[in-house]
Amino acid sequence: MKLSYKLITTLILTIFSIYLVFALNPEGAERILLNLLTFAGIYGLSAIGLNVHFGWTGLLNFGHASFMGVGAYVTILLLPHAAGREGEFSTEGLPFIVALIIGVIAAALFGLLLGLPAIRLRGDYLAIVTIAAAEIFRLLVRDLESITGGVYGIISFSDSLQKYRPGFIDNLLNNFEFSPSQAWVGILAWLFIFLVLLLLKRLNNSPWGRALRAVREDEDAVRAMGKNAVWLKLQSFMLGAGIAGLSGVLLAFNYGSLQTTTFVPLLTFYVWAIMILGGVGSLTGPVFGSIIFWVIISETDRFAVLLFENANGQQIAGVRFVLVGLLIMSLMIFKPSGLLGKKEELLLNVK
Amino acid sequence: MIDQLGNGLLLGVIISVAAVALSLLYGVTRIVNFAHGEIIALGAILTLFFSGSVDSRVLFLDRFSPLGINFALSASFAVILCGIFGGLLELLLFRPLRRSNVGNIAVLVVTIGLSIFVRHLYLLFATGKVQNFPLELQRRETYLFFDMTPRNLKVLIAAIIVMSTVGLILSYTKLGKAMRAVRDSEELANVSGVNSDYIIFITWVFSSMLAGLAGIFQAIINDVRWNMGFLILLLIFAGTVLGGIGTSFGAMVGGFIIGVLVQISVGLPFMEGHVEAKNAVALAIMILILLFRPQGIFGKKERIS
Amino acid sequence: MSNKLIDVKNLSKSFGGLQAVNIDQIEFKKNQLTSIIGPNGAGKTTFFDLISGFQSSDSGEVFFKDQNITNIQPYKIARLGMVRTFQLTKVFDRMTVLENVLFSGSSVSNDSFVKSVLKLPTQKSYEKDLEERAYNVLEDLNIKQMANSYARELSGGQKKLLELARSIINNPEVLLLDEPLAGVNPKLAEDILSLILKLSNLGITVIMVEHNIEAVMKISERVAVLAEGSLIADGTPSEIRNNNQVIEAYLGGSNE
Repeated sequence: MKLSYKLITTLILTIFSIYLVFALNPEGAERILLNLLTFAGIYGLSAIGLNVHFGWTGLLNFGHASFMGVGAYVTILLLPHAAGREGEFSTEGLPFIVALIIGVIAAALFGLLLGLPAIRLRGDYLAIVTIAAAEIFRLLVRDLESITGGVYGIISFSDSLQKYRPGFIDNLLNNFEFSPSQAWVGILAWLFIFLVLLLLKRLNNSPWGRALRAVREDEDAVRAMGKNAVWLKLQSFMLGAGIAGLSGVLLAFNYGSLQTTTFVPLLTFYVWAIMILGGVGSLTGPVFGSIIFWVIISETDRFAVLLFENANGQQIAGVRFVLVGLLIMSLMIFKPSGLLGKKEELLLNVK
Repeated sequence: MIDQLGNGLLLGVIISVAAVALSLLYGVTRIVNFAHGEIIALGAILTLFFSGSVDSRVLFLDRFSPLGINFALSASFAVILCGIFGGLLELLLFRPLRRSNVGNIAVLVVTIGLSIFVRHLYLLFATGKVQNFPLELQRRETYLFFDMTPRNLKVLIAAIIVMSTVGLILSYTKLGKAMRAVRDSEELANVSGVNSDYIIFITWVFSSMLAGLAGIFQAIINDVRWNMGFLILLLIFAGTVLGGIGTSFGAMVGGFIIGVLVQISVGLPFMEGHVEAKNAVALAIMILILLFRPQGIFGKKERIS
Repeated sequence: MSNKLIDVKNLSKSFGGLQAVNIDQIEFKKNQLTSIIGPNGAGKTTFFDLISGFQSSDSGEVFFKDQNITNIQPYKIARLGMVRTFQLTKVFDRMTVLENVLFSGSSVSNDSFVKSVLKLPTQKSYEKDLEERAYNVLEDLNIKQMANSYARELSGGQKKLLELARSIINNPEVLLLDEPLAGVNPKLAEDILSLILKLSNLGITVIMVEHNIEAVMKISERVAVLAEGSLIADGTPSEIRNNNQVIEAYLGGSNE
């Protein structure tokens, strides 16, 4: 990575945010930070997937949470788990890696399923359709109680992943009050980010990446050159969906339980905010954006307490989202390129 | 199924009015306003704040009790305020954006951010509790072939009157014709002496007032919630798509059909126990339309794909 | 295999009440250099759109190399060997000139996702060849020096050259040029014209829509005239020059 002005500013801001965590939390800062970094990793990964959709291909996907959800559900249902209140723990299941791969592929296929009809639509209609699809997904998940466990969700699947946890993590965390299982998920999230970014970098400079960029520039010209613009877009849609699916699995393992309320539209908005903040079209943007975003989010709970004396959960969430909405708006209006994005990226019109 | 007909008619007219408002705005500004739901909710929330009983247990912003003003007055005032809100949005937000030539993807994302922002402001302001207007409870009566409370019947009639008025304004007044001119071609309209900025502003005000009214109707029939707009937003989109994007008449018809179908579907056998999934019916219809007849029933073949 | 490379029968397209194209029959022979002219609104670009698949016809059939290509998707038609340019030059603004041409020159299978991930040695050598071909084409069109500039930085004329470069790198059989000289200064127009002639001499069948009648008459073997969607004349440049109907269409009739 070239050491540009943008990058230096971003690094400074990121380091400052981390410092802020310590400054504002005299006690327990490490725990907060580790928790934050885990979420940042998971959401960062999801935002990288969304960036493939929007940054690389110009697709307005507002149903991202459902891709994450498909990945999570398929993977976890293939592992030993227990669903619902009466749910019995079924010991049958596939090894974690296999289940994970299948889950990611399932998310990609869901992307294909959604994309086939939707990708030909103009931008704003695609946005509406993806929102609708995510809503249908949410309703399905909620209503298929026998599979998804209804209000109680799915539990008891963590072991499949945690049994691979290296011993040194437990030792390392002895001093901090931080759950080793969560740490393991966090480490994996960042590991996957690294691997996915390597893959994307390779693709970016490849003929495929070049073709995708051409599609974003002018589809008609692409067709006149004998290339199938729609299929290229679909492939990119599947790639982003697969990455999202991966992040969804990690999110579920982070919580230790898979609730029907986990993969909802609000999740999509978080990821969008992170992507825009990090910089649309930038490979590493989502990573920094995610860290800074999560610092902002976790410290805003203070604001909630300032406003409302005994801020209840709903009010804290409310303040969070007021800020998320404000962040998305302000960024798009004043600095659409975010931290690491390029300005020209967003002078696009809906195509 | 038939006993849902009354509810269906009511949901139908609400979505109809809201869809017309959205369609008007889209036609003139080409913006798909994802914050539309929030303007709808604003009408209801403001009305609640003005007219709610003074000794209500639910406090706005944890501090303020409702003002206890006469309901009709409150509603009228709320509608006007919604219009002002819409006008301000145009003047302070969307006009500058238009001038600065950002792509319309950016504007779309701004409306989404705006909707998240405003909606959660409502959550903080009006709390997450489901509340009702201070209107006395009524019983359902049977009219012709459907059941509803007398008040709801009045709402139904009012909505029909409102929509007819909107239709008349659009078709026969100078303002209406100017709006349609800007919708068809902003450049041409400008050249013919129409001040498109002014028309756009008026459209925002008008559309927001309609939306606020739709919200008040919805709240009379159901209740007031912080996310009531968001809940029906997808239905409104579905109705607009069904009726045909770019035509207000289409939005009206499409919105109505969606509302009726959604509510009636509650009575269908396979929907038992899955009442909330009724919205999925509308969404499925919308996706199918976009696939097979993207211009909807009445729409022109605008570029959909 | 007939000599007719492109064969069009009963082609029609209307928008609303307006008949944009209505052609009973027209054919294009291999290696011919044909110009299509006509007053504004005559349907020339729509005609291009119809035969290259960018718009669907209301009725009629189009055959290319004896294959029925009516209403099939444009990218498939391009793959069969019919490449077109556009009235409003379409270059990939945010990619470099070289990348623009590399994209066009890269085969569909080379673009595949799997290959791009694996980056096998065979692919690397393909890319090297491709780059060489790309530089050659850029050199032929005199824009090699701009290879690493972003396409948006090019002048209008240079963009036209880039679009041409992209179109010819794969040696298409048929080149449909939509107003290749539009908005181009006279010197550059000369260059483009001689380039088109050169391409034609190399065996490419060229069909071009143009408003610049002088240029058209200079290099075309054949001129087809469209007016209000119909073919009103079809012959050699001198035949067309003296055709009364044509003169009327340009001067007398409705000129939108």
